[in-house]
Amino acid sequence: MRFGGLTALDRLDLDIDEGDILGLVGPNGSGKTTFFNVVTGIYRPTGGQVVFDGWDITGFSPQAIFEAGISRTFQRSRLCLELSIFDNIMLGNFKTRDLGICGNIFRRRAFHKTCAEEIEKAVELIRLLNPALVGSIHRPVADLSMIDRRRIEICRALIGKPKLLFLDEPSAGMTHDETNQLMDEILSMKSDERRLTIVLIEHEMGIIGKVTTRCAVLNFGEKLCDGTYRSIVGNPLVQEAYLGREVTEDEV
Amino acid sequence: MRNTKDFFRCAGLALALFAYLTLFFGAEDEWSIAAYVLLGVGGVIALVSFGALPAIERLIQANERACQALMIAGTLGIIAVFREDHYTLFLLGTIFVYSAAVLGINVQLGYAGVINFSGASFFGIGGYTAAVFLQNTPAPPLLTLLLGGIFSAVIGSILLFPVLRTSGHYSALVTMAFALLLKVFLEVSEWLGGPQGLALPSLKFLGIDFAEDLVIMGNEYSFYVKYDLACLLLLIMTFTFAQRIERSWMGLAMDAVRIDETAAACFGISVTRWKITAFTMGNFVIGVAGALYSMMLSYINPSNFTFSDSLLFLSILLLGGIGSLWGVIAATAFMVVIPEKFQIIQEYRYLIYSAMVLMMIVFRPSGLLPRKPRRYIAGGPL
Ligand SMILES: Nc1ncnc2c1ncn2[C@@H]1O[C@H](COP(=O)(O)OP(=O)(O)OP(=O)(O)O)[C@@H](O)[C@H]1O
Ligand SMILES: [Mg+2]
Repeated sequence: MRFGGLTALDRLDLDIDEGDILGLVGPNGSGKTTFFNVVTGIYRPTGGQVVFDGWDITGFSPQAIFEAGISRTFQRSRLCLELSIFDNIMLGNFKTRDLGICGNIFRRRAFHKTCAEEIEKAVELIRLLNPALVGSIHRPVADLSMIDRRRIEICRALIGKPKLLFLDEPSAGMTHDETNQLMDEILSMKSDERRLTIVLIEHEMGIIGKVTTRCAVLNFGEKLCDGTYRSIVGNPLVQEAYLGREVTEDEV
Repeated sequence: MRNTKDFFRCAGLALALFAYLTLFFGAEDEWSIAAYVLLGVGGVIALVSFGALPAIERLIQANERACQALMIAGTLGIIAVFREDHYTLFLLGTIFVYSAAVLGINVQLGYAGVINFSGASFFGIGGYTAAVFLQNTPAPPLLTLLLGGIFSAVIGSILLFPVLRTSGHYSALVTMAFALLLKVFLEVSEWLGGPQGLALPSLKFLGIDFAEDLVIMGNEYSFYVKYDLACLLLLIMTFTFAQRIERSWMGLAMDAVRIDETAAACFGISVTRWKITAFTMGNFVIGVAGALYSMMLSYINPSNFTFSDSLLFLSILLLGGIGSLWGVIAATAFMVVIPEKFQIIQEYRYLIYSAMVLMMIVFRPSGLLPRKPRRYIAGGPL
């Protein structure tokens, strides 16, 4: 993936297995978010191939990619702030409720039924993450704290039952305790949905070690290495990317 | 309806509102009009400073159906009071038709965020379509109303491609260019009457001729009573339509597209599809309103729908509160009636409009009656 003269992703060869939680780490600007944007169709890659579930989805529209079963959250929260909690979550399930003009406008009784069902579903999901929000699902998202907004974003990404979920720094802007809490919630949710695959971008290595089954490290748009958490923290290349290299006497 | 007590409260409010409106519409000389305006402003300030507004809001939201019925009853009451007054009845009809048209703009800009600076052009297309069909074919007038809407929606689809390809200021410019082109085209088109325009026969329906005075039990009333009822019916239908769009998944999808196109696309919502839907539906509504309005006027010419009228539509929407249906009606009434009642300020009307819109944007950007959070079921939980 190139932006003008800048190569944001280069020779990135990454396999993700079903049911995994893959941690994606790398210094700032190493291309992690760009990787998500390329896979979810926001950017059209200038080269390379994206294969999902045996299908080549390179260059598909974001819509088609969502329909194929890939959902995501954003690094900078992208909720519709003026809309209610329920509305925001419902957006993630819109495709299953495409009733057309007739079903939406004229057959109101049937519509009210689908509406009640959707509220039920959203409430179930919110209860997993934060039961305190159940009573206020008709309040605008703008009233919520950062962690609750993240939770709503995760609910929105999950309600459409995706096969692959991208979480882009879900802990950004939160305290250490809040982050741990959110990660526990994500893990417990994942234990209900064994087949769900998650890719998690996260800067804090402790969290990566706790949550993920595998990790990959990016640097300047290239994959440095991948493997278990243990194997990558021991890798000298990774230490160099994060901390810089020790200068040897010869070079001085 | 929760209980009868609530109902009487709502009825009391409606009575006060319509008594005030009746007095206001009936006022003739400029001093009494000014006094009523001050009375209205004073009343609103009193309600706000006593903190009564939230309670009233809750009351209205909890008893929405009853309040809508009361509003219709009150409007019918006003029409009955002014049954012999051509001028006031014509003003009322204008308010109803303009409100319907701005509700169409509201579906476009308020819901899906598609800017339309050629609202008045589509209004005119509706009128011209009705005129051409009524003059040249035996089509029944009611059908020509529909045709007005359909033609306006179809001609609007010419604009779809450039409007969808561009965004923000550029698509605003595209619609402006269209408005100017259409006006020039109509002014030079011999077939469409040039600057003189076309005459329209009256609306006829079920053997009723809307241009003849209304006769009930030997008493004669203004023919505008009939037109007002037709216009009110159109407004009620448009209002219901716009409200149901808002309270459905369609409204949700349109909101998502307006607020964040990229995020909407990432959740499988087609930006193009919902913009097209909103733009077309809006133009249809505007076209029908334009057809009915030109029947009421009995003629149509290019100066009935200038670029300033398009701006007026958008100003009404800003003043009432973008996305707010009751706001649209209140703001239309205000914008139509005030310059008519104060003849001295007629010449400065656009100056006053722009001053009001600017003040609104600075002091109360969400409008007179801001849009409320969506509730899918009338009187439902919040
Ligand atoms: N739309 C764009 N146009 C131009 N350059 C871009 C664009 N998006 C990203 N980049 C560049 O691509 C590189 C990778 O950015 P990216 O956002 O993917 O990094 P990241 O790994 O997510 O970093 P962070 O940890 O800060 O979120 C950066 O140099 C960035 O400036
Ligand atoms: Mg990033």
